[in-house]
Amino acid sequence: MLTPPFVLHRPKSVEEACAIAAHLASEGRPFDWVAGGTDLLPNYKWHLNPKGDVISLAHVDGADALASDRIGCMARLHDVATSEVVHPLLAAAAAKVASSLIRRSATIGGNLCLDTRCFWYNQSEDWRRSIEWCHKADCGTGADCRVIPNQNTLCVATYQGDMAAAFMALGAEVELVGPNGERRMPLEDFFELDGMKKNVLQPGEFLLSVHLSEDATSRVGAYHKLRVRETWDFPEAGIAASWIPGDAGSLRVASTGLESIPGLHADLVDAHEDWTEKEGRKRLSKALQKAIKPVNNTVLPPRYRRSMVSVLASRALRAIMQED
Amino acid sequence: MSGGYRQQPGGAGGGVRKDGKRVAGKLRFTPPGAGGSRPVSDPRNLDGIPESVGGNEPQPAGHHVHDRLRTGTTVGQATALVDANAKITGQAWYGDDVRLPNEIIGRILRSPHHYARIRSIDTSAAEAMPGVLAVATGEDAPKTFGVLPVTKDEHAMAVEKVRHVGDLVACVAAVDEATAMEALGAIVVDYEELDPEFDPRKGLEDVDEPIHWRGKYHVGRTNVQKRVHQAFGDRSNIENAAASSRRAWRFEGVHHGFTEPHAVVAHWDANGRLQLYTPQQVPHYTHRALATVLDVPMHQINVIRTFVGGGFGGKSDPFPHEMCAAILARKSGRPVRITFDREEVYWINRGRHPSYIEVKLDADEDGRVAGLDVDALIDGGAFASFGHVTSYYNGVLATAPYELGSFHYTGARVWTNKPASGAMRGHGAVNTRCAVEVGLDDIAEQLAVDPIDLRLANLLPPHSRTISGFRITSNGMREALRRVREESGWDQKFRNMPLGKGIGIGCGFFISGSGLPIHWDPNRFPHATVHIQVDMDGGVTVHTGAADIGQGSTTAVAQVVSEVLALPLDMIHVRSHESDTSPVDLGSYSSRVTFMNCNAAIRAAMEIRESLLNAAWDMLGYHPTTLVMVDRRIVYKHDPSVGVSYLQALHKAQEDKGALIARGAYRSPPMGGVHKGAAAGLAPAYSFSAYVAEVDVDVETGLVKCTRVWAAHDCGKALNPLAVEGQIIGSCHMGLGQVLSERMTYGRTGHLQNANLLQYQIPSVHEMPHVTPIIVESSDPEGPFGAKEAGEGPLLPILPAVCNAVYDAIGVRPSSLPLSPDVVWGDIQKRMKSEGVEDPLDLESPRLTHGPLQEKLASRAEEHYGRDHARQRTEDTSPYVNGVLFGFDPTRPIDEQLEGWAAIDDPDPESMAEMGYAGRAWLKQEQRHMEGDD
Repeated sequence: MLTPPFVLHRPKSVEEACAIAAHLASEGRPFDWVAGGTDLLPNYKWHLNPKGDVISLAHVDGADALASDRIGCMARLHDVATSEVVHPLLAAAAAKVASSLIRRSATIGGNLCLDTRCFWYNQSEDWRRSIEWCHKADCGTGADCRVIPNQNTLCVATYQGDMAAAFMALGAEVELVGPNGERRMPLEDFFELDGMKKNVLQPGEFLLSVHLSEDATSRVGAYHKLRVRETWDFPEAGIAASWIPGDAGSLRVASTGLESIPGLHADLVDAHEDWTEKEGRKRLSKALQKAIKPVNNTVLPPRYRRSMVSVLASRALRAIMQED
Repeated sequence: MSGGYRQQPGGAGGGVRKDGKRVAGKLRFTPPGAGGSRPVSDPRNLDGIPESVGGNEPQPAGHHVHDRLRTGTTVGQATALVDANAKITGQAWYGDDVRLPNEIIGRILRSPHHYARIRSIDTSAAEAMPGVLAVATGEDAPKTFGVLPVTKDEHAMAVEKVRHVGDLVACVAAVDEATAMEALGAIVVDYEELDPEFDPRKGLEDVDEPIHWRGKYHVGRTNVQKRVHQAFGDRSNIENAAASSRRAWRFEGVHHGFTEPHAVVAHWDANGRLQLYTPQQVPHYTHRALATVLDVPMHQINVIRTFVGGGFGGKSDPFPHEMCAAILARKSGRPVRITFDREEVYWINRGRHPSYIEVKLDADEDGRVAGLDVDALIDGGAFASFGHVTSYYNGVLATAPYELGSFHYTGARVWTNKPASGAMRGHGAVNTRCAVEVGLDDIAEQLAVDPIDLRLANLLPPHSRTISGFRITSNGMREALRRVREESGWDQKFRNMPLGKGIGIGCGFFISGSGLPIHWDPNRFPHATVHIQVDMDGGVTVHTGAADIGQGSTTAVAQVVSEVLALPLDMIHVRSHESDTSPVDLGSYSSRVTFMNCNAAIRAAMEIRESLLNAAWDMLGYHPTTLVMVDRRIVYKHDPSVGVSYLQALHKAQEDKGALIARGAYRSPPMGGVHKGAAAGLAPAYSFSAYVAEVDVDVETGLVKCTRVWAAHDCGKALNPLAVEGQIIGSCHMGLGQVLSERMTYGRTGHLQNANLLQYQIPSVHEMPHVTPIIVESSDPEGPFGAKEAGEGPLLPILPAVCNAVYDAIGVRPSSLPLSPDVVWGDIQKRMKSEGVEDPLDLESPRLTHGPLQEKLASRAEEHYGRDHARQRTEDTSPYVNGVLFGFDPTRPIDEQLEGWAAIDDPDPESMAEMGYAGRAWLKQEQRHMEGDD
């Protein structure tokens, strides 16, 4: 299996990165950003939408910042998992990502911008040829979606990053940098419901860092991840929750690994202010389960994953109340 | 004894300066004959010499014919594998490490269709591309091959039809991989798609276009490749069953998951001989198949087995890509290397068959197993591979270790348009064993007895015959069960733990080498041959064809030679890589290597030993019967100060002859019955095992975690306890994969959805329980120093042990594998629904109150303990056949004693169809019986 050849650009600063991106855009050369490469390069090896140019953020000055209020896109998951300055929820979620080997390379930015996954998509070229391609990588054929046939407008590949749910639960904001300057937004607004588009990043724009407010430090959080093996596996479902102890209205609950994007469930949480009681907690968990609709494109069947939402949610809620 | 031997003598203190340094030219040479790196002989290690010949090694199972050859050198001692250094330092050369000058890269074009007829292939554009040196298609090698001579249904590349996605269509050799890939894209194939079949159950129906056509032996127009029927015993035993368990199981296909993908390098040398480098478990069958397909005599082919990065049965077929490399190399005149991607590894497959297995067990009021009925429909995929054998193994390997009142087996293997299934560790026995052992647990529950006591009261003794005529020699089943029961604290834990925690038992029975070779040989070729050569330097070169696939066969051979000749392991050099220099060995399958190859090695070493002892007789004047081999010396038994060194004896023995050369061979003794399929499952010895597993089940999510395993395996005699423990723990890991998470997932379109190591979920170190290996030594009378297999048998019990532990934990009895969390969760939901329980945490754990039968079984088990002990130590040599427990006289043939007891040869198709899916295969007739009836 050969990785398709590409030109690797290694800017030293944000400005240089933007300049390279602008230059490539002006020449009409499609490119990808790469951070740790643990997601992008395996996909390249499988010839999943490879580009001729790749801009590495590895050497961008300050991109690996790791502080309680700001985490750079190049911060390694291993460093986050073992850090004493970041929020314990982030460290715990990072420690559950993939394997120790991968965490040494994989980054916060890469994890947030993870490509969506689908067992009709994450396959070799020969394999995908034998199903006559799919909507997400149609090789110019206009192929149909293989998960839900007869619809080739939306890609339903599943977002299986762990960190997004934890960040959302803490109310994190992301800082994007691109040709039109910087912008900041809550992480939940960063994602866009389409397995191909995935997020709001414009051409030439990249995620530079994640910011956490003062509020986050007083939060107590928990992340529960469903997977068959305690290493390697992507989340088949993941629920993160946090609150400021004593303030039931401060609860934030986010899910990942279930749909094309991770989601913050603010409305549901607002409707269940009695979640600190056992019955209320149960109702909230069930309501979350009802609101989430996974499809059949990961290892475990969607019906089961959906049922696990309430189990994971009630466990996460119990955990943040620090009850057993 | 003379002081020097072509070297300066090193007297006490001689040649050493006052400051302790040695004087130049006055080196302190070791005494003559001291081969190896140690300067002086080690004293005899009496702990490594059996009691029967005066040593300290206890022999609870009695003495062994090889005891007199024991020198206490390496046998029975934990020994690092002799190739360990090569592997851990990265010097071992695996398939893809071979680099020949001028080599080029081969790639294979694979079918994108499940089932299609090839109308035409146009390779002209690919051939015209610069950098492309050869292109080949099925036309270049029209001859069929297959590992079994009775079912040769494979081609190097598709001829006429492709039969699964990934089937080989054409291949290209080019200067580099990128060019080869590009050339594959330029090959134009015109396919006519045919209707594919993925469901083995539908394979029993007539179709327009069966996947293969067997002519007059074809069963109707179905996709049945092989059907099997066996019946023994007295069916009337089951009419008044006190307990009955019938379960229909679904087992997913699993893959070996070895680390090294297939890789091959082919090179036609200057003399026009083919040199083929391949990581093969069974180089000899590859050798035969290459000769057939390439149309060259075998002596013009040298098969070089590289180091094998794991095989587990997945590298034991002759493979089409090996033919492709040879064809491309012949066409291009350059060495050609082909290395698989992981996905290609899954497409060539040969993993365990996906199976539908139905097992019915009946027990009478005495707690005896009155009937065992097995029906196994196995999904063979697109080719026969080892399937002919697998079809039998799925039934016949369930006929022990329990004494059965009757045994009924219907089996069928069907072709489907999926990658071919084949042999995998525990070949054919694993799935049925799981179903049988879970069934026994069910029976025990119904009878209100302890499942271990139920087993202990129904075991066949050592030196007995099974219901289908297998000859059991040594049998450590009883000891294995007793030891796991004790060490696991079974009696305190079973049916006594809180919800979500459980403990379970499972047993295993496996062949130690298949009694008949795959290639029927009228010339009575031995199964294993070993050559030993010793020249004046004292190093011992052992030539064997046995393929070390990581299981340690090279070490085992080196150990037995070292033991017989009392030489340190570093003086034994095993050469096993090339067919040019290795004697024919049938290969590493059916757990035969230690048993057969070490027996052959012992025989060869005995010849060398005799030459050395005779030479020492010449020199010392003492008869060989009074001489003892100690570490690199031969001494007089009654006065060890009288002796000669090994080198002195060797040089004496070499006088006028040169190097000592010896040959040893092994062929299994004639045995078994005469019924159809009697040879399947015959082995010169059988291994037995009993495991207890403890699990934690998360009742809310269905996640099962195996936390502890006590694993007792009877390997006869552990030549190398370290390697045996490694095999036991490794087997646990592999078996846990099948029971917990591994499955080859075929999606709704029939595609293999998880042809990668991320989604094909092999357990990680986190899923690995703490395993306590328990070695049981029953000393097999025919095994080398008493040894039997330890490579495959240890895998069997872990599956049912975990399944039974899951029942103990949550009161749900599985009937499909793997026990992935969604399946277990679904079962828990069903139980909650049926019991009207809202919260899974409110479920009750199963509990056991012993019924009246318990005491009866316990006392029978105690009685049998004495019986087995006497038989094991050959204090009791009376014949014993399956059926004695049911009141038969073992000295007379059973079928003479009771009318109902017989082998049923003439099956009634209608009644067999009731058995299950496989039974229905008998509703069709073979083509040869269909002539003239419309």
